[in-house]
Amino acid sequence: MSHKVVVRNLKKSYGAVEAVRDVSFTIEAGEIFGLLGPNGAGKTTTLECLVGLRDADAGELEVCGLDVRKRPRDVKEKIGVALQSSALPDQITPREALKLFGSFYREQTEVSALLERFALVEKADARFATLSGGQRQRLALALAFVNKPELVLLDEPTTGLDPQSRRELHVEIERMKQEGHTVLLSTHYLEEAERLCDRIGIIVGGTIVATGAPHDLIAQSSSRQLVTVVTTPALDPATLAQLPGIDELKVQGTSARFRTTDATATLAALTQLLQSQRADLIDLQVRKSSLEDVFLRLTDTGDSTGQTV
Amino acid sequence: MKGWWHHLRSSLRLHFRNRMALLYGYLFPLIFLGAFWVLYRHDKYPLLRHMGELLTVSVLGGACFGLPTTLVSERERGVWRRYRLTPAATASLVASTVVARYFIVLTAGLLQLGVALGVGMPAPEHPWALAVAFTLVAFAFIGLGLVIAMMADNVPAVQALGQCIFLPMLIIGGVAVPLESLPVWAQHVSAFFPGRYAVEVLHQCVTGTGFSPLNFDLLALGVIGVTGFLVGAKLFRWDAQQHFSRQRGKAWLFPILAAWIAVGVAAEARNRVIIPDTTKPVVAAAPVVPLPPWAHLTSKDAEALDYDLPPDVGIVAPMAGPDQLPDEWVKPQLDNVRIMLPYWVPSKGPDPLTRVRHALYVAAVPDAAQVPTEAFVPGVVLNYLQLTYPKDDLVKMLTWIASHPDEGNPILSTSDLGLKAAVRDPMLVKERVHYYAVKFVAKLTNHAY
Repeated sequence: MSHKVVVRNLKKSYGAVEAVRDVSFTIEAGEIFGLLGPNGAGKTTTLECLVGLRDADAGELEVCGLDVRKRPRDVKEKIGVALQSSALPDQITPREALKLFGSFYREQTEVSALLERFALVEKADARFATLSGGQRQRLALALAFVNKPELVLLDEPTTGLDPQSRRELHVEIERMKQEGHTVLLSTHYLEEAERLCDRIGIIVGGTIVATGAPHDLIAQSSSRQLVTVVTTPALDPATLAQLPGIDELKVQGTSARFRTTDATATLAALTQLLQSQRADLIDLQVRKSSLEDVFLRLTDTGDSTGQTV
Repeated sequence: MKGWWHHLRSSLRLHFRNRMALLYGYLFPLIFLGAFWVLYRHDKYPLLRHMGELLTVSVLGGACFGLPTTLVSERERGVWRRYRLTPAATASLVASTVVARYFIVLTAGLLQLGVALGVGMPAPEHPWALAVAFTLVAFAFIGLGLVIAMMADNVPAVQALGQCIFLPMLIIGGVAVPLESLPVWAQHVSAFFPGRYAVEVLHQCVTGTGFSPLNFDLLALGVIGVTGFLVGAKLFRWDAQQHFSRQRGKAWLFPILAAWIAVGVAAEARNRVIIPDTTKPVVAAAPVVPLPPWAHLTSKDAEALDYDLPPDVGIVAPMAGPDQLPDEWVKPQLDNVRIMLPYWVPSKGPDPLTRVRHALYVAAVPDAAQVPTEAFVPGVVLNYLQLTYPKDDLVKMLTWIASHPDEGNPILSTSDLGLKAAVRDPMLVKERVHYYAVKFVAKLTNHAY
């Protein structure tokens, strides 16, 4: 089966700044692919090169079997895009905007169907300036669908939305998947990537550091569970460190946190230790490894500020 | 093409929804029109001589402020970035924006024309030529507007840049202030701005001779418009993050500069820059042969007049001094005289002596009729005569009139000048004409009486 999207060794610099160093990934038809990474990792630049907004410095870019760098116009006919920070004039109405943008394409979707589909019927003739953030975002999505696109690209579609609108948008994206659309979305929200995407590519510092289905990434990343225990009085760190299977121990006041390769054995030993030390157990949590752990481990370059988790 | 048409309609629709744009696009030109109407209220045909200026101001406003403001604010909001994600060619969207702007300035111009006709301006002499000239003026200024839009990073920058071009053109570029009232250096400067060519060619179409196909103004506007569009296209930016300061190809601004300078230099070379001042006295160009009898008079003849005259403050031949002010209610009549005198039919005619004598009747009739304006009209008349004739000639003519009191056929009423005064006795008028003629000579030659 042919790939919907092929990105191979993409490079893009702005002057001395290498925004994208080496990005490669493929997307299959009907897949939702997430580009996950902290701010400034190169997600937006990758997307902008892919939709023809920017000229790549090097690499191969193919969308729906067409070379993006050679046939940008034909690629644009086949894709629908909702980028960050693309607003419309204040005075335009959703109906007019959909009609106007539809007129730019060879193939068009009925405006009334789009209004219906994205719950904009009531606001169809309201000025853009009067729309809420969620309504504007739905209109941006509707605009991405005016040309019956084969591929939909969404750049951080939920950034800046309130939780209610974000949930609505998640439902919307899941619906795209059910309808068989191929979607490429970028996000810095982990739970969004985990919930919506069939596969994700984690991008850090302009490079893809891992690709795969979220659960595979988690499984590959670590089979070790994370244990958090709170006691009074505090347990002696040296004693704790001798528990079987324990690793990455961190003690902070009465709270200790560590990973284990064998939770059952570790917890049995921990219970004995508590009894012998006559310490009261306040809290105990055992958690499997999550995408967050994967992400933090992969993006831990000493400066992992900025990501919302 | 379908996208182009939709975008054109959408641009126009959005324009007419934008209250600020309407204010700038239509109210502003009408305010200018009103101001000109008031300023030049005494013109025989209201606004006729100023339609060129008014239309130019409208186009300038719409093209150098309206167009770049729309383009830059859309770019700042990411609208142009969004367009880039569609297969529509950017050039075709710019083209529809430009055409929409042309319609907008055209409607503003038609509105001005309509209002001007409504207040009594006669219809333009050459309406079709006017349409062509207007289109070319719009083309030149819209090209300029595109360049401003590409140079400005945000809307305040549009305002600043626009004013840099708008204000000089208005004030010393011949757009709002008539060129003939500007000093010579300013007239030279104006040759390097497109405004005056716009005003000239529009003016010719409204009230003059239209234009010939190889009109210099049209050529100048065409050159400036073509370079504007060319450079606007070369510098085009759709992304608000591309700042002008970091933009490559700024050298493209030189063609614009070169075009403006070339037009100015060509105008100077053709010797068409300086406008003769028609308000100053015109000295007879060719010597009149034979000289009229009064021209042979000398200062001795003036000296020989009888300066035993009634005093200025009396009831015979009074003349208000500089410290005397007329009553408010007579002022309008004096204004009428001041404005109408140069156009007043008996004050025209081939013979200057007759014209001066007729002007003196205007002073003499109110005096003879003893109306409240009598002390003030003579001053107005003397002022008019001084502005119209060289002093030497004037003294000679007044001396002749004073010493030939029986000549001429006195008028007996000044009501067609808007000055309420009438008498029955022509002899009375002749007598007062004599007195005023001598008094004027005395004042002009600093002779006591």
